[in-house]
Amino acid sequence: MTSLVWKIAINEWRRLWHARIPALLMLVLVVLWAIAALAAHHHWQDHANTVAEVTQRSQQDWQSQPDRHPHRVSHFGDFVAKPLHPLSVIEPGIIDQSGHLVYLEAHRLNSANFNPATEATSLGRFPLITPAMIVQWWMPLFLIMIAYATITAEKMTGILAFMRGNGTPVWAIATGKWLALFLPFFTLLCLQASLTLAWSWGSDQVLLRLSLMLLAQAMYIAGWCLLVLAVSWFSKQLHGALLTLLLCWVCICIIFPRGLANLAQMTYPTQPRTEAEHHAEIKLKTLGDSHNPDDPHFAAFKAGILKKYQVTSVEDLPVNYKGLLMQEGERLTTDVYREQQALHNAQLNRQNISIRHWLWLTPALALQYVQMASSGNDLAHHQAFIRQAESRRYQLIQYLNQIHTMKVDQHHDHDTRVSADFWKKAPRPVVTLAPVSVSRHSVEAALLVLLGWLLIPGVLLIKVAKRT
Amino acid sequence: MKQELILLLKQRSILILLLLNLLLTGFSLFNGWQNISHIQAQIGHAKQQEILRKQDYLKQHNQHDSLDVGEVGYYVFHNVYHTPGEWSFIALGNWLVTPYLQRIRLLGLQGQLYDGESHHPEYVMLGGFDYAFWLVFFAPLVCIVLLHDLKASEHQAQRLLFLQSLSAQPTRFWWQRVVSRWLLIALTFSLPVIGFTTIHGFSLTPLLQVLMITLLYTLLWTGLYAAFSLRTRALDANLNALALTSLWLLSCIVLPNLAQLWLHHRYPVQDGSQIALQHRQAVHSAWDLPKTDTLTPFYALYPQWQDTAPVTGRFHWKWYYAFQHMADVKLAPQVAAREQTLMQRDQLTGMLGYFLPAVWVQRSLENIAHSNVSDLLAHRQRITAFHTQLRHEAYPYLFAEKQFTTESFGNMPVFENTNK
Repeated sequence: MTSLVWKIAINEWRRLWHARIPALLMLVLVVLWAIAALAAHHHWQDHANTVAEVTQRSQQDWQSQPDRHPHRVSHFGDFVAKPLHPLSVIEPGIIDQSGHLVYLEAHRLNSANFNPATEATSLGRFPLITPAMIVQWWMPLFLIMIAYATITAEKMTGILAFMRGNGTPVWAIATGKWLALFLPFFTLLCLQASLTLAWSWGSDQVLLRLSLMLLAQAMYIAGWCLLVLAVSWFSKQLHGALLTLLLCWVCICIIFPRGLANLAQMTYPTQPRTEAEHHAEIKLKTLGDSHNPDDPHFAAFKAGILKKYQVTSVEDLPVNYKGLLMQEGERLTTDVYREQQALHNAQLNRQNISIRHWLWLTPALALQYVQMASSGNDLAHHQAFIRQAESRRYQLIQYLNQIHTMKVDQHHDHDTRVSADFWKKAPRPVVTLAPVSVSRHSVEAALLVLLGWLLIPGVLLIKVAKRT
Repeated sequence: MKQELILLLKQRSILILLLLNLLLTGFSLFNGWQNISHIQAQIGHAKQQEILRKQDYLKQHNQHDSLDVGEVGYYVFHNVYHTPGEWSFIALGNWLVTPYLQRIRLLGLQGQLYDGESHHPEYVMLGGFDYAFWLVFFAPLVCIVLLHDLKASEHQAQRLLFLQSLSAQPTRFWWQRVVSRWLLIALTFSLPVIGFTTIHGFSLTPLLQVLMITLLYTLLWTGLYAAFSLRTRALDANLNALALTSLWLLSCIVLPNLAQLWLHHRYPVQDGSQIALQHRQAVHSAWDLPKTDTLTPFYALYPQWQDTAPVTGRFHWKWYYAFQHMADVKLAPQVAAREQTLMQRDQLTGMLGYFLPAVWVQRSLENIAHSNVSDLLAHRQRITAFHTQLRHEAYPYLFAEKQFTTESFGNMPVFENTNK
């Protein structure tokens, strides 16, 4: 029986080859793909250069600091750039929108700044051509243009009835045609994956990330092949088949993803950052004011310190009391800022959940979620980056406050400069890309949708095929 | 003409398509408006809050009708607003990314100007569902559906020869057919706009501009597609549909993308992060320099303060704010160069618009909506002007050490958005 399926597939290829236009379209698709790969590579290199430059410059600025007072150093601060995965070449995701630089300083939580999207001209409003976009938008479109006629034409010319009369089973026709459509695209996907693998060999979790991406892409294209077959089988007119498929494409690929994101934003709008900052500042004031001698929190803190060192006044402490205050203050502010950050993340997650509820409408968005997750450019990876940067900030500032406490004589606090060697030894752990597991939720939901996307057109195809 | 319209509207699939278009155009307008009114509500709220916050500060720090001007400069934030115009809903453009609300204090401006906003980045990446998007991408598609089989459908129904021999003026016949289709397309795009404007009572001139753009854009695609599907050998509807879809793909996605690539290659812009890094370095290295290294060049810019009391102690606010400002001065050429390159990019985009109608529509609508990069730059100019005003207001208190009273606090400038 397999030979029959193959025979049908090979016949379909022969028909497509002789019709010329499908072969031409395939060529155009490959050219588009090459353009996309070049453009995406250029884009990626730009970003990678920026990240490398910023990291190098910030490292140099940090290391070349002279002898300073530790608190000055903690306000001098540190810059962290967001690491990029080489797979960003396939799907840049939110690179342009999320900002790629965080400034870490004492008692402040800065956002990620500098996104090129802010300064884009009107051209920036046109969707970017990337290899991921080729799979997500253009492959289905070209598939439609290549194959909308595949069964309708055979119905019209009577070949289908003839084959059925000869005893060819429906499933063999369906499988053969499906293979004929799916295999060339699958080959392209595999080619893209293997080229990317060779190019990004040795990068973080590359095998897992790439196979996840390939799996989702294959499922997506397989689903489209089924849908094209089902519609083509169902239609009595070539024209009807083409227009129905184009309508499906417009809805699934363009209207629904944008519409869903916009609805989520409308239903659960985010709070402006400045408001969030202000609320954090208000909250800080209620927690305690280290400058106020009557403040209950800091009075208790002072009593605790005096008891610990068994002295009666701050003046007699063997360590720098201001440094201790800084440590306590940093602990309090960090708690508040982290709470604020969690609140903001909760707002974004609520939007994501609302999108996920409707994700079954559009496998294109589901595919995009998987592609963004596996190239490390989705929201979850960005949030993980912000968390890492924040923990580095806290570690660094507390280290500096520790030096303030131990190395700065409190009676000559303002005039002391601490040796620059301390900055060189400061803990500044490298910020690394988060593992792909941070985006587990969105990947799971998306894969489920893609699975459903295989089932629904599959069932449709079986139903319409049985009628003939 | 009337018969043509009736004939068209009797086809159920066409009717559904037009109704769907009407509905989604309405949704795109509503969605844009919803986004903008959220921004306006937040700005309104922040304006009220700002007054209260300043009063609070005054209450807490006022001692015998006098405040420390240095601390006021450091701790008092002034809101700056990027207020959308009345017609901003038509093209959200960069409203989705730019912070519409920022806080500025007396410190160096370049360290504060580029703070990001807390939008959902994935949402921003997917883009807004606004009228500009809908018109730019869908008007051509609707045109394809209505126009690709002008001749071919008649040919397929075997009426083509009959029609052409029957009518005295075949040109007139096709003309009517095309114009009636264009009318329907243009109407489904403009009626919601007109309705929406009437409900909300928006101003008239932008409405006329938007309608003009809509009519021209749909007319262009109608003309192009009609010419294609009325050519002598245009008898295969499917081939026409494929060719026209490819044309759409090329002019609405591929070419704008390539144009942007070329533009960014031609006019490279220094990444903003470089400015931030240099600014920090300039501000913080000033602490380790002798005070005169900061004050001498500062007094060269502001000679009126050079005879004020010299800074001898370890710290003085006037020295502090002088080096904050000097860091801005040091970076000014780089900032100006960046701004100029961005303007050049914008101008060239305008030029490209004459060749790429999709780009032209997007840019024209963004100009009406004040959501283009040039509006962002103008907004940054306003912030800079406001910051300068703030500095000049504070300098007499800092340098001449005039007493900063409750009244002086009340006299501090407030950011007014005066662009629209």
